[in-house]
This record gives sequence, C-alpha cells and structure tokens, in this order.
Amino acid sequence: MSALAITGEDSLTGGQPAPGCPGRRRRRSTAGWLLFPSLTLVLAGLILPLALMARTSVAHFDAASPDLAGFTLDNYVRFFGEPFYLMILARTLVVALSCTAICLVLGVPAAFVISRVESRALKTVLILATIIPLLMGNAVRAAGWMVLLADKGLINSALLSAGLIAEPVRILYTGSAVVIGLIAVLLPFMVISLESVFENIGTAYEEAAQTMGAPPWTAFFRVTLPLAMPGIFSGCLLCFVLAMNAYATPVLIGGPSFQMMAPKVFEQAIKVYNWPFAATIALVLMAVTLALSVASSLALQKRYGVL
Amino acid sequence: MSSILIRDLVKRHGAQVTVDRVSLEIGQGEFVAFLGPSGCGKTTTLRMIAGLTEASAGSIHFGTREVTNLPPYLRDAGLVFQGYALFPHMSVAENVAFGLQMRKVDRAEVRRRVDEALSLVKLAHLAGRLPKELSGGQQQRVALARAIVYKPEVLLLDEPLSALDAKLRTEVRTELRRLQSALGLTTIFVTHDQDEALSVADRIVVMSAGRVEQVGTPREIYQRPATRFVAEFIGLTNLFPGGLEGPGRFRCESGECFSTGSTDVPPNASVLAIRPEHVSLLRDDPAPGGACALAATVEDVIYRGALTEFVVRTASGAKLAAHLQNTDLGRDELRPGDRVIASWPADAPMLF
Repeated sequence: MSALAITGEDSLTGGQPAPGCPGRRRRRSTAGWLLFPSLTLVLAGLILPLALMARTSVAHFDAASPDLAGFTLDNYVRFFGEPFYLMILARTLVVALSCTAICLVLGVPAAFVISRVESRALKTVLILATIIPLLMGNAVRAAGWMVLLADKGLINSALLSAGLIAEPVRILYTGSAVVIGLIAVLLPFMVISLESVFENIGTAYEEAAQTMGAPPWTAFFRVTLPLAMPGIFSGCLLCFVLAMNAYATPVLIGGPSFQMMAPKVFEQAIKVYNWPFAATIALVLMAVTLALSVASSLALQKRYGVL
Repeated sequence: MSSILIRDLVKRHGAQVTVDRVSLEIGQGEFVAFLGPSGCGKTTTLRMIAGLTEASAGSIHFGTREVTNLPPYLRDAGLVFQGYALFPHMSVAENVAFGLQMRKVDRAEVRRRVDEALSLVKLAHLAGRLPKELSGGQQQRVALARAIVYKPEVLLLDEPLSALDAKLRTEVRTELRRLQSALGLTTIFVTHDQDEALSVADRIVVMSAGRVEQVGTPREIYQRPATRFVAEFIGLTNLFPGGLEGPGRFRCESGECFSTGSTDVPPNASVLAIRPEHVSLLRDDPAPGGACALAATVEDVIYRGALTEFVVRTASGAKLAAHLQNTDLGRDELRPGDRVIASWPADAPMLF
C-alpha cells in the first residue's frame, strides 16, 4: 500500500524541507496519478462485483424470479448449519494445505538445484521442463490423469497384469487423486517462484558459510533457507490460494464423490440457479482464503520482517 | 597459522586457461598481496586456495597438510569477501559466532571469543545490530572479525577495501596490517590497486593473464620490475621502444640515444623505461652535457599539491612524463611552451 503514498521529495530530505529552499516542499509529485487507470480497473472489475455479490448473498432465493429481493441471513445459516457444507469447506482446506505442503517439500530442492546449475542452456531446459505442465489446458491435463488413474486405467491395468493386485484399486474420484492432479498444476508455480528467490540470494552467503566450516547442508539450512523464507512464503501462498479455488481438477478428478468449494459455487449458480446461495459459498471461500493468508503473513512478518 | 605452498596450480574453463601454473611459497605469518588487473586470475587463485573453485591441476598445502581436494569447510581458512557477504538475518555477534558454532565450541567460550574478536576490531558496542544497520567500514570490520575469530590457518582477503571510500580505505588498511602482524596471521590479500599492495604487503605477487609475472618485496617490485608489464602496472612509466647499440647505449626509435646505466641489461632489450619521478626538469640554459639529458618543451602541467605532473615533448617528438615534488616554494613555475632540459640519474633507466 506504500505505493499510494508516493510524494517524491520527502525521501531525499527525510521529510524535512531542504535547507536553503523552503518553498520546494510544497511542490508535490504527481506520480500518484499514474495509479489512476489501474485503480479504476480494480474498482470497476473487482470492488463493484464483490459488493454486488455480497448483496446477492443476503437476498431471498426465489426460483421463480431472478430479481434480488429482501434481506436475510438464511444462506449463511444454511452454510454453517449443515455439516454437508462444512465438510466441503474442511475438505477444500485439507486439500489446499496438503497440496501446499507437498509442493513445498518437492519444490524447494528442485528450485534450489535449478538455481545453482551453472550452464545457462541446461538451466533454461530445466525451467522449460518445469512449466510444460502449464502449457496444456486444465481439462486436457485432467483427462490425462483420468486415463492414468481410472479403475481400468493404465496404473490399475499394469498392477493387475503384474499380479500385484487382484482387484482394481480405487484412485480416481478420491482425495489422493485430486491432490495428485492439483500438485501437477501447482508445483511449477512453486518451483518457478522459488527458483528466482534462490537465484537472487546468490552463492556468496553459502560460500561464506562454507569457508567458516559449515558443510553444504548446514549452510543451506542455517543461511540460505532463512534468507529465502519470505520468497518461500509467497510461493506457498500462491499454491494455497490456487488450490483453494481450483475448479477443473476437482470436478474432473474428484467427481461427485469428492466435492470442493469452487465446483459447489458453479453447481449452485448454474445448475440449481440459486444465486444467493452460490454467492454465499463464494464469499465464504474468499473470506477463509483471505483470513488464512493474512494471518500467516502477519505471523511470518513478526519473525522475518517485511515480506 | 601455517605456511601455504602452491605448486603448479592451474584452472581451465574449457579451452580457456584462467590460472596458468602458479607456484608460490608463503611463509608463516607472512602478508602477501596478489596484484594484477581484473581478469588476471588473482581471485580465481584465491578461490582455489579457499576451496570454492576446484583446481584443474597442481597442489595446495597448508603447512604439511594437503588441501587441494578438500571441500572449503574442511580447509580451515578465513575468507573476507569483496561484498563481505555478512548474513543479513543474523546480528553482528551471531555472524561472528557462526564459525565457532560450526567448530562445536561450547557456548560460554563462543561468547568470550566473539567479544574478544569484536573488541579487536572495535565493534563490541554494536554486537546486537544487524549488518544492514552498519556503515560500510563497520561491515568490513565485522567481516574481518568473522574470518579471524576461529583462528584459521590462513586468512584470505578478496579486495576487502574496494567498497570503501578513499580516506577510510587508508585507515582500514593500516588497521588491517596492525591486526595481521599482532595476530601473526598468514594472509593473502587480493587487490588491483598497486598503492594498497605496496603499502600493506610483505611481498607482492604480480599476476597477468593467469601467470605470475614477479614475486618480490614492494621495494623490489617497484625498483627492479622483472618485466615491462610489472613496470607499467606498478606506477606510471615512460617507455621508449628501441634497441641496444653497443655496450651501455640504447638507441630509441625516435632517434635519441641514452646511456643504459643499470648493471643487468638484457641483451635483447627492446624497451627503455624511466619512472616520471626520476626525471628532473631544468630551465634551458646552461645546457648540461651527458647522455642522460635531452632538450624538450613543456606541453602540459598538472598541479597535484605535493607534486606537479609535467608532460614534455622532446625535439624528436617523443613524450616524456615528469613528476616533480613541490618542495621548493619559491621555485619559478614552468609553463606550457617553456624550453627545458629533462635529465635523470644514470641508474634510473630500466631495460626490458
């Protein structure tokens, strides 16, 4: 938010008028106007629809008329009153948190190794290889997972013909399948953001630690990792938010038996046509994501300074 | 502390050779400067000694211990980086304690030695600060304290003063020299600044294009440079291409003939060099005789306070730089266009 307070001059003289030119402080920079276009876009494209959604979420549902009418908290009472919906929220949280954790564990070593590769050509190849999963659409990728994970899919066929199992194992339409499918999408984001973090930290700190007697692992955990914490947190946040709001992967790989929040919003809005309840679920999803992000960010800020 | 023995050290990057068969013996407690232009291989050599860069061939010994293939954390060297590389998330005291913690020194002893090292560099009062809260000079001293606190076998300094301003640089290098001799640290100091090397080192290793050009005390390097490169790199030098013409006489391409003076004249000498501070300028008359003088016209005068730099042009068109100490306040000023006689002592010319 500090960008909103750009006033030029002040920073040079520490807020005090420069000696010998008392009038200069009056002349404020006009750089703030540069924010105008983006602010307008944000206002028109985000704040207004959000306000509208908030309004919709407290309207009466009348299947006969699409108009917004009345004020009621029924939708919220319904969401927080029915274990069915709370289960969906909890399931979404568990999936998002496990995806984030697994991406972190898999992403940190990969990103570190890529960032320390000396050959530019090899580094480019590795980064490209990392983002290849992002080059195809969500639906295509999910279809691929379905072919692989289905009861008669490649994995089960292979296991059956190898005689390792007698019956096909249920993988598709389970939580594990959704987590696997989401990780495939989220890991590239994690690796790419962490790679640049490690790249920016550079090798000098590790080298300093090593000359002082720290073996490479110790140097990594005592020096590089703490320095990367703000970046690691951003990467986790990105994964978490994307996982919380995932739509295509849960629908296709989770199916009707493993329901998550974003597909539920779609179902209520488009299939049931209950716009007020859809708005309620969407707002709850957003509020929970936002609250957790802000809370964790504040907790980390205390420990690592400005993030 | 131990001596350092480097034998035929080579570093290749593909076909390119950045360090070419460097051999060197550094005595216990000796302060040696690696001096050379950027890209001459001095930092690569230092990194190989620290273990941060793998040697392609050759060997390195600390005392009797061979360290050529040891990883950096087993070498027991203290290294001060060019940018210091202080850990930004640790306080000054934690930065200094790091090396001791890696050596599993017990906590009370760590505290004691951190305090000792910080008071040695006069920073005990800033132990709790973060590196970013310190000035450049203070950061430099933390980096030094951090490198010497665990009493490493060798202390390696990679351009440690280059980030400081000129005045601070002189102060810090004096301080560095004092600490080094007080603690008896075997030290290698990498620099591209010949003043720094001359004023601080016991011996200087002049490097160029990956090779050692000359090893010697500052006095030897300055007064008896072994090669033309050393003569040019250490201090400004007037160079006259030409050839020997009989014993003791050197004929320049521009036509002048000088007495060679010095005792060790290489038989195939092709350049005669004279330091600007050895040249003296006198008003045209009376013209002194002898081979070490020639008539010239003053072209340029730069007043530098303690000395004045003159550029004069000889009758044949050769340029000659002369630095004259401004000791005589009443001396009449030479101006561009004045006719002068440039002369120098008979043993001033160096031949390569």
